[in-house]
Amino acid sequence: MTTDPVLAVDDLKMHYVTQAGVVRAVDGVSFSVERGQSLGLVGESGCGKSSIAMTLLKLLPDNARLVAGSIALNGIDLVPLSEDEMRPHRWDRISMVFQAAMNSLDPVYRVGDQIVEALEAHSSSAGRDAMERVRELFDLVSLDPSYILRYPHEYSGGMRQRAIIAMALACEPDIIIADEPTTALDVIVQDHILREMQTIQHSLEMSMIYISHDMAVIAEVCDVVGVMYAGKLVEFGPTADVYARPIHPYTRALMSAFPSVRGEKHELVTLPGEPPNLLDPPGGCAFNPRCAYATDECRTTAPPIVKRGDQWAACWNPSDE
Amino acid sequence: MATVNAQPAVPSSVWRARLRLASRSVRENWGLFVRTRIGLLGLAIIAMYALLAVAHPVLMSTVWEPRIYDPVIGYAFDETKQPAPPSLKHPLGTDPLGRDILSQLMFSARSEFLLGLLAATVTVVIGTSVGAIAAYFGGWVDTILMRLADIMIMMPAISVLIVLSALIGVEHFELALLIGILSGFGATGVVLKSQALSVVVKPYIDAARSAGGGHFHIILVHIVPNLLPLSFLYMMFTVTSAIFSEAVLSFLGLLNVRMSWGLMIHTTESAGYLLQVAEFWWLIFPASLSITLLCSAFYLVGRSLDEVVNPRLRSR
Amino acid sequence: MAKYLLKRSAQILVTLFVFLSLVFFIVNAQPGDVSNFYALNPDVPPETRERLQDLFGVNEPLWKQYLVHLKNTFTGNFGISFSHYPRSVADVIGERLPRTVVLFMTATALSFYLGFGLGKVVAWRRGGWFEYTSTVSGVTLYTVFTPWFGLMMIWLFAFKAGWFPIGKFLDPVLWRDAPIDANSVFTQMIITAFAVSFVVLTVFVITAQKRMSNARIIRIVSMVLATLAVVAVWMSWGTVSYAWDILRHMVLPVATLTLISFAGTMLLTRNSMLETMREDFVMAARAKGLPESAVRDKHVARNALLPVVTSFIFSLAFAVDGGVITESIFSWPGMGQTLVSATLTEDLPLAVGAFVFVGIFVLVAHLVADILYAYLDPRIRY
Ligand SMILES: Nc1ncnc2c1ncn2[C@@H]1O[C@H](COP(=O)(O)OP(=O)(O)OP(=O)(O)O)[C@@H](O)[C@H]1O
Ligand SMILES: [Mg+2]
Repeated sequence: MTTDPVLAVDDLKMHYVTQAGVVRAVDGVSFSVERGQSLGLVGESGCGKSSIAMTLLKLLPDNARLVAGSIALNGIDLVPLSEDEMRPHRWDRISMVFQAAMNSLDPVYRVGDQIVEALEAHSSSAGRDAMERVRELFDLVSLDPSYILRYPHEYSGGMRQRAIIAMALACEPDIIIADEPTTALDVIVQDHILREMQTIQHSLEMSMIYISHDMAVIAEVCDVVGVMYAGKLVEFGPTADVYARPIHPYTRALMSAFPSVRGEKHELVTLPGEPPNLLDPPGGCAFNPRCAYATDECRTTAPPIVKRGDQWAACWNPSDE
Repeated sequence: MATVNAQPAVPSSVWRARLRLASRSVRENWGLFVRTRIGLLGLAIIAMYALLAVAHPVLMSTVWEPRIYDPVIGYAFDETKQPAPPSLKHPLGTDPLGRDILSQLMFSARSEFLLGLLAATVTVVIGTSVGAIAAYFGGWVDTILMRLADIMIMMPAISVLIVLSALIGVEHFELALLIGILSGFGATGVVLKSQALSVVVKPYIDAARSAGGGHFHIILVHIVPNLLPLSFLYMMFTVTSAIFSEAVLSFLGLLNVRMSWGLMIHTTESAGYLLQVAEFWWLIFPASLSITLLCSAFYLVGRSLDEVVNPRLRSR
Repeated sequence: MAKYLLKRSAQILVTLFVFLSLVFFIVNAQPGDVSNFYALNPDVPPETRERLQDLFGVNEPLWKQYLVHLKNTFTGNFGISFSHYPRSVADVIGERLPRTVVLFMTATALSFYLGFGLGKVVAWRRGGWFEYTSTVSGVTLYTVFTPWFGLMMIWLFAFKAGWFPIGKFLDPVLWRDAPIDANSVFTQMIITAFAVSFVVLTVFVITAQKRMSNARIIRIVSMVLATLAVVAVWMSWGTVSYAWDILRHMVLPVATLTLISFAGTMLLTRNSMLETMREDFVMAARAKGLPESAVRDKHVARNALLPVVTSFIFSLAFAVDGGVITESIFSWPGMGQTLVSATLTEDLPLAVGAFVFVGIFVLVAHLVADILYAYLDPRIRY
């Protein structure tokens, strides 16, 4: 039992139905996260990272369709659950730090009360106990406890971010999804918060999915990394391996866009071409129009999985560096 | 021929592109408008009353004898008792003074439209100017205009009109003017100003300014066009309030008008038929329903336009 | 908060000043002076007329007249009513203002409650025929020709069914040899209403702030106690049957005013809810695993309330107009009815006095709504 992954996602497909057509935002994604492990998801803007996050919590807009796949959280598949059955799992077992964290706090309630609200939704510990817990949480994320009874507009951006992390930790979930939690902050605060999150994660033995488009950030905090392109995972593996020897040309392109990762002095390469249109993705490997190594096969047939130890990629022309 | 075709290729294609864009946005917005459904309902009602208004002079000069059918001075000599119930010759009956109700109804429709149009035009002209000027100049101009707006917003229009009617005679023209001023300097001006504020910060305004465009030119060419969709929406709401106020005032007998829907009910009231709703329904229902329907129709169109103009209201 | 309210109060005072000046110039724009109106009335003796001329300062220069006008307004000196001769305008208004305030406040509270509750539901069930019908019927009620609507209410519920009186404030037959006059009973009713709402509100606020776990029980108990207290007090006054008569007369005008105004709030609430539903904190509330009803009521509706209150402040003048019309349809002797009847009988001092008070009424309502808004939105509380 204990070796079972906390979260196992298998062939997940989630599409948006729009006027212009079907947007395949999550298109057959599989991965799993072990207890205490942190997984990074990287990819360009619009490749479907947030869509995966929202799908995992089943918080989907009206026009979204969960087409196929399974999301096993502690062995329970969330996909067939109804709203009512889903509710106890949210926040208690799987919580989230939103991409728009700045606006995730309700402006008309005190921050402390909003955390209490989450606690009360999942346990009977009301009133004084809950307030005690909020104090602990504020301590954990190094927020001044005098701010518990203040309103969100009295917080600075970094403080709000910490408050939201405290809120995500409130019920001691098994896994936290952090969707670009620090992009709106300045670099120093960003660094502080990242380090704190890592410490907390280790001390509480939580799992974490860390979403970012910044390879450097992922390198710093994640054990495993998944590279996304056009709603699919194109490469997956232990962070050290993927960063040392990327298999997929897209991963390599991303890496060279962030030269600091490898420490060497690289010429900054921007990715040529446009990100793919998810309404009508290119046939075969979706990356082919922008790939320097593209062959006819790449344009017609979906690429095979190439393995190298714990690392894998979906590519016709894997790098054998 | 060939040179003529080849020469202005660039400008004409630019214009063609602009036209294409404009027609596409009209088509798209029309699609959104239709999808709200309530807008179509409003348009249908407005069209019906417009038809009635247009048909009245035609009928008067052809089939309806003015002596009998004139909405103000006619008398139904063909009926023995007034008010007469609906009949073939008088489809909606006659009023206590022997005048044909349908003719009154159709005659009044035209003045309601004229009144609404005048009030709405005054509102939009004032509101757009106030909004654009307050947003563009800011500072004390803005402060004065907005304080003035506060006062206008707090003016109960109908009560003001009631008092005015005691002091000076109020007719359709004054009514439309007053409604237009109250709304233009008041709520409409405020809303249009906040819209104009989002335009003023756009880079092309700065560009126009540094290119040496005069204030007047910039406001007219760059700001006002952006306010038009929203001001069009507020025109609809103004029409509603103009028609409504007219009806209330003439119902109370405070307005100097020859004929209007409100006056028709006033006549019914002064003749003492007001509580005999079941027996003399044609004295009450046609006029009251017309007021309600036309007010609702313009309001529905306005609301529907709101959903077109404001993307945040569309379904997720 | 204090600073904000001080600023708003100052603005409202300036507005009042401008408003009074406007009234003065409107009155002076017409030919002749105010006292001419009295000359038309054979009941008014010449001495009184002269005294009135002094009061309005008609023989003084215009700027002095203006100052006199301001002074008269602030001292409540509007002269003598022509249609209610020899009562003074202030006396007539003093009797009628509370009636308008009560009618308006009751209807406003009811319509806001109804409109907000319905708007919430409509927004949550986006699309389909439910939304369509509720929008169309809401708009129809909102724009219905008020006099006709009032008339239909009278005809249906008073004339045909006979459930309620046809209009007016009280039944003269019942009150012919009453031991107490109508205004005192009405004052008793107002005091009761205020005391009860104050107690209930205080209990609600205190239980909410102290985070008491047995809040519900305390609330119910306090409400029962308040009811018992009201019953006891009214028994001791012994004026229940008279109060009941006034209440019966209130039902139809309140119902009419509520029905014509709730739709506006409902439509506003729907739009405001739809806009709020897109906010990130709503998604966060769902992610926290809150039940749908809590997401809707605690987060979406609570935030959607703010723009609704703002728009409501915008439309206060419109609502007061609705009250004026309703009062005159139901002959409810309040400020609106006074304004209309004074205008129709060319009782200029009373008409102007009533108008000034309708204006002041809007201003005060504005201030109250501002305070409410400041209380509701923590962002402007400090
Ligand atoms: N509600 C929706 N309806 C239709 N399409 C949507 C919706 N939400 C997102 N999309 C589309 O789905 C795709 C994936 O969006 P998503 O937000 O998951 O991207 P992302 O990887 O998180 O990007 P970013 O890094 O900018 O946050 C995008 O092409 C986006 O346009
Ligand atoms: Mg995202």
